[in-house]
Amino acid sequence: MEIEDKIIEAAKEIFSSMVMMEIEVKEVLETHGPLTDTITGLIGLAGTHKGILGIHTPYPVAMAITSSFLGMDVAEINEDVHDAVGELANMLGGNVKSILSDNGRDIDLSLPSTIAGSEYNFQSDKEVDTVIILFDTGQGEFMVELDLEK
Amino acid sequence: MGKNVLLVDDSSTMRKIVGRSLRQAGLDFDNIFEAADGLEALDVLDKEQVDIVLSDINMPNMDGISFLREKQGRDAVKDIPVFMISTETGDDIIGEAKSLGALGAIKKPFTPDKVNEVLGPLM
Repeated sequence: MEIEDKIIEAAKEIFSSMVMMEIEVKEVLETHGPLTDTITGLIGLAGTHKGILGIHTPYPVAMAITSSFLGMDVAEINEDVHDAVGELANMLGGNVKSILSDNGRDIDLSLPSTIAGSEYNFQSDKEVDTVIILFDTGQGEFMVELDLEK
Repeated sequence: MGKNVLLVDDSSTMRKIVGRSLRQAGLDFDNIFEAADGLEALDVLDKEQVDIVLSDINMPNMDGISFLREKQGRDAVKDIPVFMISTETGDDIIGEAKSLGALGAIKKPFTPDKVNEVLGPLM
């Protein structure tokens, strides 16, 4: 099974069991343009595999995900949304680590972080292999992106 | 009589989710205390009567492994059972946690059924 399929499987499991949302793959992309009104959760990988995993969630989708995650209405981009999107990146990053790692010690994960803005670009200045998966939540779409240094 | 549990995770979202899972699993807890890292967790253990600790591994300030090591050195709290709840499930890391007294690990993502399966025998 390719890493793309394993990320899809992991994302579906995380959303189904923790966020209480069923998600479907809309498209697998090679690139994406500037991100607008979006919050990105990030987790870095270092060691035998170096790179970054990002989950790009437009504001309305981020609020819908956080509402479902926490079981309460969230109507603004607040600390809860940042924390929830960061934790999603953390769980996806942990799954990616378990896919790539031989024993758990050869790859280190960073602590999750988030960025948000009205328009920004997300691209690596290194040569990377990129996997981008566009998911549909039924309440909007989001992307999971894995950039691994070649 | 219910038990008191301490949830240790730097994500406030995850602390809420774990707390919700404990309730959905039907486990009888009197109090659910929270801490954002190992340092805060040690502080709670000093002040409160805690029966079970559920701890993340990857945290700022003091991570879950360092927390276990510190807790092992404190006679008053070293026997309180700890389960790790983490995305970190490599054999080496979980093995180190167990060598420092952790009873087991629950992998994120998890379901209330999994929480019940792991914690039920201690209740």
